[in-house]
Amino acid sequence: MALKDESPAQTLDTLGRVCPYPLLLTKKAMEKLSSGQILKVLCDAPASAEDSIPRYAEKSGFSLETVKVEDKGMWEIFIKKP
Amino acid sequence: MVSTAMFLLSGLLIGLMMGWSLQRGRFCINSAYREVLFQDYTMLRAYLLAVVVAMVGANLFEDMGWLMQSDGAGGMVAGELYRQAFVPWANIIGGYIFGMGIVLAGGCGSGILYRVGEGNLAYVLAVFAFFFGIVVTKFGFLKPVYDLTISQVVYVGEETIPTLYNVIGVNKWIVIAVLAAVMLYFVLQGKPFQKAKKGYSWSLVGLLIGVIAVLAFWASAYYGGRARGLSFTGPVREFFLAVLFSDSKVPAGESLSLLGVTFSWSSLYVFAVPIGAYLSGKLLKEVKVKVPPADELMKVMFGGFVMGIGAQIGGGCNIGHSLTGVSTLAVSSWVANAFIILGNWTMVYFMLIKPMKDMDV
Repeated sequence: MALKDESPAQTLDTLGRVCPYPLLLTKKAMEKLSSGQILKVLCDAPASAEDSIPRYAEKSGFSLETVKVEDKGMWEIFIKKP
Repeated sequence: MVSTAMFLLSGLLIGLMMGWSLQRGRFCINSAYREVLFQDYTMLRAYLLAVVVAMVGANLFEDMGWLMQSDGAGGMVAGELYRQAFVPWANIIGGYIFGMGIVLAGGCGSGILYRVGEGNLAYVLAVFAFFFGIVVTKFGFLKPVYDLTISQVVYVGEETIPTLYNVIGVNKWIVIAVLAAVMLYFVLQGKPFQKAKKGYSWSLVGLLIGVIAVLAFWASAYYGGRARGLSFTGPVREFFLAVLFSDSKVPAGESLSLLGVTFSWSSLYVFAVPIGAYLSGKLLKEVKVKVPPADELMKVMFGGFVMGIGAQIGGGCNIGHSLTGVSTLAVSSWVANAFIILGNWTMVYFMLIKPMKDMDV
């Protein structure tokens, strides 16, 4: 099942936040999650959504899926702790 | 003789290309330095690749006599790259302050400008505050501090501006070859030929920024009277001065007068950067008017102000020093860049690393 179809344990709203807060808040939220849980991040900072958060997830060994919501100019990012 | 149309076109075009590339590539020197602390070197590799391209290209243009500039009498003459004088106290203090400022502002000199095009109000305020910081330092109540820091100038010999090669006393190209080899070795470890999943890969961005930096050296000489290349601090100041007082306040021969407004070539290019970013973002459907929470807005604005003070004292921002200045091999820019990195790391520790640690307890 795709990550975006599972129900997230928490939704983190970083809309409007400037770099690097989306990444920082994501890190903080991920540390609190238990194994197997999913974090959904709402983000409208392009560099964070497509660059820094995916790279952080990859390095930490988390699986990640990104959905770009074009009509809202934002991304929904789903990160799962293994 | 430089035509008015080409003066305008070249400035706007280079600004558009720069803004476009920054937005597409998510290029940010602030995060390039920051992520080193978290063992991620992707953005640093993009930055170093840009430096190698700019360094080799700019010096090649200089030595081939391609940096044609006005001789002040209607003709053109081959000029040199503009290298900043070495003012150690200013470069050290200003660089350090600027390095701290970019973390607070959530973006570097180029970062705050191109992100205006993405629609975040915070960066609009950051740019205004950046200008405010610059003016306060150059003309306002911090002028005595500024004058004091730049009062001690260090020369090589009589009055030669120190560069990495004339300090060591070797041929310029030996220094370039060694630096380029070391940087490229590091760049190549990052799999530069792997295609990006989406958007521009980091290596393409680095290459593009480097090429634009070389083009800017050429165009700023040909149309702007001096090969100053890409920078943001001076140009932001000149842009706002032209808007506010109809005069960029640059030496004669480096500006154009149109409809009663005297503006520099660089003020044009800096104006076009957010527009280029806007066009790129618009096509990607990433432009949206947005605003962060009030406390963050205040912090970003304060950061922009601090950046302005640091950049004016230190003689440049992360583009003027860390990309353009570093590639001219001027000692001033290498020193300022080192302290921009240290300032960045200091602030990252207090704003990002320490809060994470405190949370664990």
